[in-house]
Amino acid sequence: MRKQLCGILMVCMLAGVAATAPASFAGPGERYLHVKVEDAAKGESVNVNVPLSMAEKILPTVNKGGLHNGHVSIGSAEMNDVDVRALLDAVRTAPDNEFVTVKEKDQDVRIAKSNGNIVIHVRDGNKGGQKVDITVPMKVVDALLSGTKETNELDISAAIRALSDAGDALLITVEDATEHVRIWVDSKNASE
Amino acid sequence: MILLGKVALGIVGTAIAGVGVLCSEGMIEVNVVVRQPEAHHVYVVAPAMLVPIGMRFAPQKDLSRAAAQIQPWLPTIRTALDQLRESDDVTLVEVKEPDQHVRVAKDGGSIVVDVQDKDETVHVSTPIRAISSTIEQLAASAPSN
Repeated sequence: MRKQLCGILMVCMLAGVAATAPASFAGPGERYLHVKVEDAAKGESVNVNVPLSMAEKILPTVNKGGLHNGHVSIGSAEMNDVDVRALLDAVRTAPDNEFVTVKEKDQDVRIAKSNGNIVIHVRDGNKGGQKVDITVPMKVVDALLSGTKETNELDISAAIRALSDAGDALLITVEDATEHVRIWVDSKNASE
Repeated sequence: MILLGKVALGIVGTAIAGVGVLCSEGMIEVNVVVRQPEAHHVYVVAPAMLVPIGMRFAPQKDLSRAAAQIQPWLPTIRTALDQLRESDDVTLVEVKEPDQHVRVAKDGGSIVVDVQDKDETVHVSTPIRAISSTIEQLAASAPSN
């Protein structure tokens, strides 16, 4: 009788423990890719927060279109036969500098290397024109191009891994008269 | 009399164990508050295990078709669910408009969807384990080649 009672209690306890077991065992140092789009005129905002480890694991399972096994194929035609690897190798070894500056009547474009990052600024001088700032750590660019040269592939998974190791970073901001887009990486699990 | 007591204890124990097993995958919570045009409030809390059990009663033809459609995405879904289970709580997507607020989050072991607008409020919480079980059962319904 007592054994029966103990057995029943054990089953109930195990079921209870299974039901209430904490599901979250994420290790420390999880990093998140945040995308925030705000439209002040419409009063709308969209926030997307993706754990980078999740993106890194999921990407290789998606095989559709140009994406396969965490890589994206790009034809040489899309590269305009430019040897991007050689170009980046030259940029990597060069000291911090402004490589490209284009000034037009309504637009300024600046591409530079600064503190281990590739920095791109685009300013549209028209009224309400866009301001684009892109900062990509060199390590991420290297990882992106770490695939074999012959296959012309971008290794997205490796880039995400590198992004995860690169620390907090504001990657992209796009602003115009009403809209504001931000893409950044940090260790907070919610947007600011 | 003792025998009767043992039988009663056995029945009660089995019932309690059954409830425990039924709740082992957590609970699905649905809360719908409709304000206009007529006020309604629907609040349902049900054991998540009922979903895979309920799928056994779905027409095999429909399940097979759904299984065939989901088949190419199974590795992605499985990985996503595994990763979600292991990740910290996080608001995955949040959309705010002047009269609407949508939030999809991982909260505890569940995926939570909250939708709020001027007419209604909807809250759905589904345990990730139950989603996994349902997906696996759906995958098992695929026609064998």
